[in-house]
Amino acid sequence: MPDLPEFSPTDYAVPLFVAAVLAELVWARLRAPRAYEPKDTLVSLSLGLGSTVSGILFGGFAVYVFFAAYEYRFFDIGSAWWAWALCFVLKDFKYYWVHRAGHRIRWMWAAHVNHHSSQHYNLSTALRQSWTSPFTFGLLFALPLVLLGFHPAMIAICSGLNLIYQFWIHTEAIDKMPKWFEAVMNTPSHHRVHHATNPRYLDRNYAGVFIIWDKMFGTFEPEHDEEKIRYGIIKQLGSFNLLWSVFHEWVGMIGDIWRAPWKHKLSYLLREPGWSHDGSRDTSDSIRSRWLARQIESGAQNQVADRNPIADPREAA
Amino acid sequence: MEIQILQFAGSLAAILILAALAWALGLGGKANLSDADSVQRAANETLDGFRVVESAVDAQASAALAKDHAGRIMLVKRHGNRLAGRILGNKAHAAMEGGKMYVDCGEPYFGVVELDLIEPGPWADAINKLSFDSDA
Repeated sequence: MPDLPEFSPTDYAVPLFVAAVLAELVWARLRAPRAYEPKDTLVSLSLGLGSTVSGILFGGFAVYVFFAAYEYRFFDIGSAWWAWALCFVLKDFKYYWVHRAGHRIRWMWAAHVNHHSSQHYNLSTALRQSWTSPFTFGLLFALPLVLLGFHPAMIAICSGLNLIYQFWIHTEAIDKMPKWFEAVMNTPSHHRVHHATNPRYLDRNYAGVFIIWDKMFGTFEPEHDEEKIRYGIIKQLGSFNLLWSVFHEWVGMIGDIWRAPWKHKLSYLLREPGWSHDGSRDTSDSIRSRWLARQIESGAQNQVADRNPIADPREAA
Repeated sequence: MEIQILQFAGSLAAILILAALAWALGLGGKANLSDADSVQRAANETLDGFRVVESAVDAQASAALAKDHAGRIMLVKRHGNRLAGRILGNKAHAAMEGGKMYVDCGEPYFGVVELDLIEPGPWADAINKLSFDSDA
């Protein structure tokens, strides 16, 4: 068994989180007072605190599974510097897929949605972490790393570092980073797109640390400066109730499964959010398709209207 | 365990301080819902492609109703300094009280929305007809 330090990076990062939120509050006061809404901030930070409690109460099962699986590892990777670097990169690759599943499988989305349900995008939004992820199958995505031979403690530390990296990208205070950085790393600009409800941005930019995964797997969308971003979820909550923020999608999903005909019950659990057996609801794909169709239609009209000086500008998404 | 309780208490205190600071700094403000254009923008944000053909804005600009070509009715309300809306369905209900209209979209946590409109009657009738039509 490798000799690994016993520490949780996120515990040490909490003072940094508080200081950064303080700094952003001052920035908001000076530059963008509407970037924060006190009630929303209270909900976001409470979700963060609650997720740590949930982790303590329910995280034990995942720890047990990882250590049990480690006994069946294929290799002894150890704790050399290159093992840490490789673990960090592979952990981020795993994050891309578990995050993608978090948006494309309703069961996973039920746990992840509270990270997106704020209509604001600031550093407090970063702390809107899930209370219910232990009740999904997300831990399965990490099992290949354990079976490869990465020690569970190494994976946990890399996960903590990954989470800390993602904190600072939840801000509107930073516009764009240098081009080389935007090309490789996840940035505030890329992640604003991920939190947007504009049709063209739905289900895009799942990356944690490295944006290259989205570019490799066809889910990358750059931020378009001319298009104002709207944050949140398709059906905005319209409520600052903390418990409703945590459980609303679970309530909706279980209700749908209960009411659905038997042959469709599993689909309400495993298909994408918004899917319905009678096609009466919208998914991100259907919203994007409808928007695209309208863009093509208005583009065709604009080819004529462009000659007309009083023509309306192109519709923003 | 004692350390975890202390961490929890410290984090809770930090949360309350940060939220109070956001309030004390005057952050927030109000969403714009003052005219037909702002209702159209809000409606399109609620349901992409929703084209408003008729709308009514509350006297305090805190809520609005909008109708599209298909006869769908949308309720939009202020939610903090943002807006949130719902297409009204057969669970929606409108009631008049003290000259104001109260619209319940049927979702408890969205809440009953108060609207002070110049001509609320036709809107109330149209909303209540949604549930009547589904019962018929």
